[in-house]
Amino acid sequence: MSSLAKMWREFRTIAFLTIDTLFWSKKTIFVALISLFIVALAILARLILTYNWIRSPFTPPQVFATLMSTAVVHFLVVFITLFYGTALISEEVEGKTLTYLFLRPIPKPVIMLGKYLALVWITLLLVVPSIVFSYLILYLGSDLGLFFEDMGALAQDLGIVVLAILAYGALFALIGAWLRHSVLAGLLYAFGWEGIIPYLPGYLRKLTITHYIQSILPHDDTAVAIAMLIGERSGPLESVLTLVLLAVLFLSTASLIVREKEYLIEQ
Amino acid sequence: MTEILEASGLSKWYGQVIAVNKVSFRIGPGVTGLLGPNGAGKSTLMKLVTGQLRPSQGQVALFGQRIWNNYPLFRRIGFCPEQDSFYEWMTGAEFVAALLRLHGFGEAEAESRTTSVLELVGLADARDKKLGAYSKGMRQRIKLAQAVAHDPEVLVLDEPLAGMDPVARRETIRLVRGWGKAGRCVIVSSHILHEIEAMTSTILLIHNGQVLADGDVHQIRDLIDQHPHHIFIRCSEPRRLAEILFRFEDVLSVRFEPDGRAVTFESEKPDEFYQRLPDLLLRHQIELEEITSPDDNLQAVFHYLVK
Amino acid sequence: MPIHDVTYRHWSGEWTSHPYRWWVITRQGISLLIRKKRFVALMILSAIPFLVRTVILYLSVVVGQLGFLKIDAKFFEDFLTQQLFFAFVIAIYAGAGLIANDLKGNALQIYLSKPITRKDYVIGKLGVVAVFLSIPTLVPGLLLFVLAVAFHSNLDFLQQNYWVIGSIVMYSLAIILTYGLVVLALSALSKSSRFAGIVFAAFFFFSQIVYGILHQILRTTSVAWVSLTQNLIQVGDFFFAAPPHYASPTWVSGLIVAGLMAASAWLIHRRIRAVEVVQ
Repeated sequence: MSSLAKMWREFRTIAFLTIDTLFWSKKTIFVALISLFIVALAILARLILTYNWIRSPFTPPQVFATLMSTAVVHFLVVFITLFYGTALISEEVEGKTLTYLFLRPIPKPVIMLGKYLALVWITLLLVVPSIVFSYLILYLGSDLGLFFEDMGALAQDLGIVVLAILAYGALFALIGAWLRHSVLAGLLYAFGWEGIIPYLPGYLRKLTITHYIQSILPHDDTAVAIAMLIGERSGPLESVLTLVLLAVLFLSTASLIVREKEYLIEQ
Repeated sequence: MTEILEASGLSKWYGQVIAVNKVSFRIGPGVTGLLGPNGAGKSTLMKLVTGQLRPSQGQVALFGQRIWNNYPLFRRIGFCPEQDSFYEWMTGAEFVAALLRLHGFGEAEAESRTTSVLELVGLADARDKKLGAYSKGMRQRIKLAQAVAHDPEVLVLDEPLAGMDPVARRETIRLVRGWGKAGRCVIVSSHILHEIEAMTSTILLIHNGQVLADGDVHQIRDLIDQHPHHIFIRCSEPRRLAEILFRFEDVLSVRFEPDGRAVTFESEKPDEFYQRLPDLLLRHQIELEEITSPDDNLQAVFHYLVK
Repeated sequence: MPIHDVTYRHWSGEWTSHPYRWWVITRQGISLLIRKKRFVALMILSAIPFLVRTVILYLSVVVGQLGFLKIDAKFFEDFLTQQLFFAFVIAIYAGAGLIANDLKGNALQIYLSKPITRKDYVIGKLGVVAVFLSIPTLVPGLLLFVLAVAFHSNLDFLQQNYWVIGSIVMYSLAIILTYGLVVLALSALSKSSRFAGIVFAAFFFFSQIVYGILHQILRTTSVAWVSLTQNLIQVGDFFFAAPPHYASPTWVSGLIVAGLMAASAWLIHRRIRAVEVVQ
């Protein structure tokens, strides 16, 4: 078997094992509920619009934009990647099962990459259906022309979500592989650092993932509007490339750490 | 002996604590007991030998190759860890098969090996039961199963008999001895002396991170000069025998047993003692019923070297 | 008797009474946490707003009560509201692993085989979280009030604002019990302190985000009841007799906070058992 095919098989095996460990557990029910809540909000908005429960000047595109920028990109993606990303290695250490993985004839970076693959797959599975269903619920039943017209924006949203998953996933995988209190560190980054720095003037904002995501998001919410008031967006190409590079950088660093670090399993 | 595992000046420390201190040894095929009290450094040594830890100083090599981050070597190593942790949601068969697939075996091969190894450890009936529902002994056996399923040349077993019932214990000891006889290098760690004694007479005794002795337990015993050997003799005339033997310089003391039919000698030259004994018994027509050495065993070695 | 018996003897002294058994668990939990330097650093960090407010208090006496230097009930309410974030972080750090780690290590069997009840165990654990949550809330809140009284040269401030003591206590208790019970319930749900911490964080942030979205869509604050933080703020407004921040009815917020506490207590009651059956 060629070495590439062999490596791919190892990736897949690790990824499936990780999916079984992380995804098919009771904890995923909780995450799925949050994801479904997004759809529930879309349903609520749809009902309000259809039955005129309140007189409020909002349109389906506006609701979708708010859901995407506030709930999905700035919360759901961050939360799910934090939830699973920090667990990739630390759950194995806490559960004392890391020994079984590290004593196989597989390079440790491949183990890290396989787990990262699983993380991306799980997050896509939990996020994309919510986005698509929300879009369908909000747009169908209103102007069909708008439904097809905004498909471009939907595709862009999905692309941005993928980039966000790649970048945040890699970052939290790194934090999980490196730090002991990875959850707290992840929370402080996601809701502390990224909650404050994008709203500061100057170049500091470029030290956050959210700045690049905000720069290419086709929707504007209040937070984005405030951030853009203080400073400029980065260009779309620059943002996309930076997000990809960040993902590669964080993942490489995580692989290096996993390779060199001695994980002490408590007896 | 062809060395499979070799350590040279091997040390490992965590901050100010030296867990393994300039340890050097060579281990070849067969069963070697890694023996030591709690906190001696056995687990750390096992982790160094299986590449889970990087040496702070010195080296350890398996088949002449460095172990740390040398992942192709793991095809040839099987490790049974001490910790009682699994992917609890998996069944026994799923667990072994998954780890076999990580070794590079295909689905069919992994399944076939899983079936045979589960039969070997007596878990064929429980293969489809979740690991979370396994008893302590079953969990110990499944650990053993995953360690041997890929047919490794080197087996490192950390407290493999912990939690097993007497029948399973006997069966596992038989398996370990069989693997040793088949030419595998088996390293078994324990702090329970009679378990090690039942598996092997070759030991590596470690205490406070240092190797105190390594080799055959009887040879080691002979070398422990500060502790004269005790020899227990049951015969027809113990007092007469004591009178005869006490004249020799190497016999340091004599103690008579309460029943009056046996005597225990303390000799600092056991080889000479054993050599002269048959002739003396014949000459003085003393009938010998039983002769044993109560301290020519692992417990005595452990006691004399560690305590 | 010339030869003294030094073998095992039954304790013939006084036994501690049962109502205080929970204190053993609380005391142990506290001593384990204060050994962690990072946690102590976090506690120290949470004191910064208190120090800032102390300076404001001092300046208000020296310079006079102008604008932001006005010392009234709102001053104390705003302080406690400001401390909600620190209380959230401390609740995760101190509370997420309290029961989860015991479940992971099968320690419940050991606890419940002693002459303590499940109630003692839960109260003991709640005591740990409550002590640490009171450090950024109740303690500095009361201390600020004492300093406010002390900085004034007469008892006028105390005479006019004595009722604020009760408000500080009640608002602090609402924060302590809500965060404490919710984080303990989540800790009891899993053997992973990591999971409990993340879920608590999700609950905290997601409810705020949902409120934000509904607020943007519906252009009203009457949906503030969906957010845990906003509910606590509404409850705080009630205790401090302040005009409510949001249009949602205060009784709804109170009901939700009480409901959360009750639901958490029920969850803890269901999960704390000595034996777990795996099939």
